[in-house]
Amino acid sequence: MRALGISLPMVAIEHPLGGERPDGVARRARQAVDQIRGLLGRWSSGASEIGRAELADVSTTSEIERAEPAGVSLSPPSVEADLTGPVTIPDTAEAVLAAFCERQWCDGLPIVPPTEARVLAMLAGAPGDRSLGAMPPLWRLATLEKLAVNAVMAGCEPAGFPLIVAAVEAMLDPSFNLYGVQATTHSVAPLLIVHGPIAAELGVHSGSGCFGPGFRGNATIGRAIRLILLNVGGAWPGRHDMATQGSPAKFSYCIAERADASPWGALHEDNAVTVFGGEPPHNVNDHVSTTAAGILATVADTAVSLGSNVGWYFSQSQLLIVLGPEHAQTIAGDGLSRADVQRFVFENARLPLRLLKLGGMWGIQDWPRWMHAITDDDALLPQVPSPEDVMVIVAGGPGKHSAVVPNCTFSRAVSRPVRPI
Amino acid sequence: MSQIRVLSPIGVTAAHTASLPRLPGSLAGRTVGFIDNRKANFDRLADEIGAILSAEHGVKAVIRRRKANAATPAAPEILAGLAKDCDVVFAGSAD
Repeated sequence: MRALGISLPMVAIEHPLGGERPDGVARRARQAVDQIRGLLGRWSSGASEIGRAELADVSTTSEIERAEPAGVSLSPPSVEADLTGPVTIPDTAEAVLAAFCERQWCDGLPIVPPTEARVLAMLAGAPGDRSLGAMPPLWRLATLEKLAVNAVMAGCEPAGFPLIVAAVEAMLDPSFNLYGVQATTHSVAPLLIVHGPIAAELGVHSGSGCFGPGFRGNATIGRAIRLILLNVGGAWPGRHDMATQGSPAKFSYCIAERADASPWGALHEDNAVTVFGGEPPHNVNDHVSTTAAGILATVADTAVSLGSNVGWYFSQSQLLIVLGPEHAQTIAGDGLSRADVQRFVFENARLPLRLLKLGGMWGIQDWPRWMHAITDDDALLPQVPSPEDVMVIVAGGPGKHSAVVPNCTFSRAVSRPVRPI
Repeated sequence: MSQIRVLSPIGVTAAHTASLPRLPGSLAGRTVGFIDNRKANFDRLADEIGAILSAEHGVKAVIRRRKANAATPAAPEILAGLAKDCDVVFAGSAD
């Protein structure tokens, strides 16, 4: 809330609360009440330092800090300077990297220095002060200039900037729930899926190893999005991005769909980008199936596990199935359409109620009434609300592999056309 | 050594005008609300805090409302109801 210009008093207790026994909950309640007593009559939005001073005296704060390993600071940068304005630094690769790391302006990898000339070239005449909106979790304005600065740093070519702008617009759609994606303890990262001829024009790869390294379009556009999420949104690990472990997908996560190898055509024929709040890809390894049923059974089995945030939490769940071209051809060879694939996965990516009761999210799931009403322990419950919540695209090269990308339930995929700015 | 001037990648902080009233000096006779974030044990924590505040600080009533799920904002009707009925509201966060 401080990012919105409103300081709120905060009561901090030992973490975690979940999984604690009654005596542990009672201890935390007492910690909270002790702090509440200290805040009463002393806190107002214009005197937030009082609240912070109270917190500094709470033993639980130091316990939270001790939960992190030595040698790595999760504190804000110690640089004594305006972090929002231009800086002049020694013009060597080493000095630039050191300066950006010191200010917490980058992901830890070398960057292209965002000089004014480079940023203007990235904008290509677009108005730098135009804002796409406030980006969570710190609700800073996503102006085109700031997006361009981060795109330069990531190594993007100016031709890719309209795609980055479209992706940011998509992420700021309320149904994507970017606040949740940015701040959650889950490992979710926005996956960019590029559609249409622009993918090839920008060098966004859809073939062999498309989720991996080696392709400037994928690497730099995906990295630009991450830098924007860090620098504009303010989702710094351990502070405002509270991911317990995060994932490698948080460095860069961008592919194109492979329309030329899809038996069902592209998800979008025109130039567009889809943002999907996803876990890293879960590999589907099936070297033996010669039928759609066999491959899709392997896909469905890969999609379900007790530890998945999808499904067992349910609300707004979506699954992305990225079929390798060979798997897709086998499935289509049996006459299945894209809608058939969606229906098959919906019907078969299920777990019995008895298994769901063992752990995971049991007890705090956001299920519809009809699912809560089920008492038969052998009933098989779906992961997503409908077949339409299973997205199917084709990407990759030769080989008998596909991927399942579960979302982080509270975020819905959003697509936007890519147009000149 | 030559120097280079670079622009900051940090987003622009928007201007805001909102403010909050001062917390009351005492909770005696007040109604306290909780926004339950649905994470495990928050319901127990809120009930425990409410019980202590009632017994030791004279709180008149405790109201707990649950969000639909942990990851999305509380429904507007929940916020409106708490704003109408409560003097102080605690919003649960984290795990």
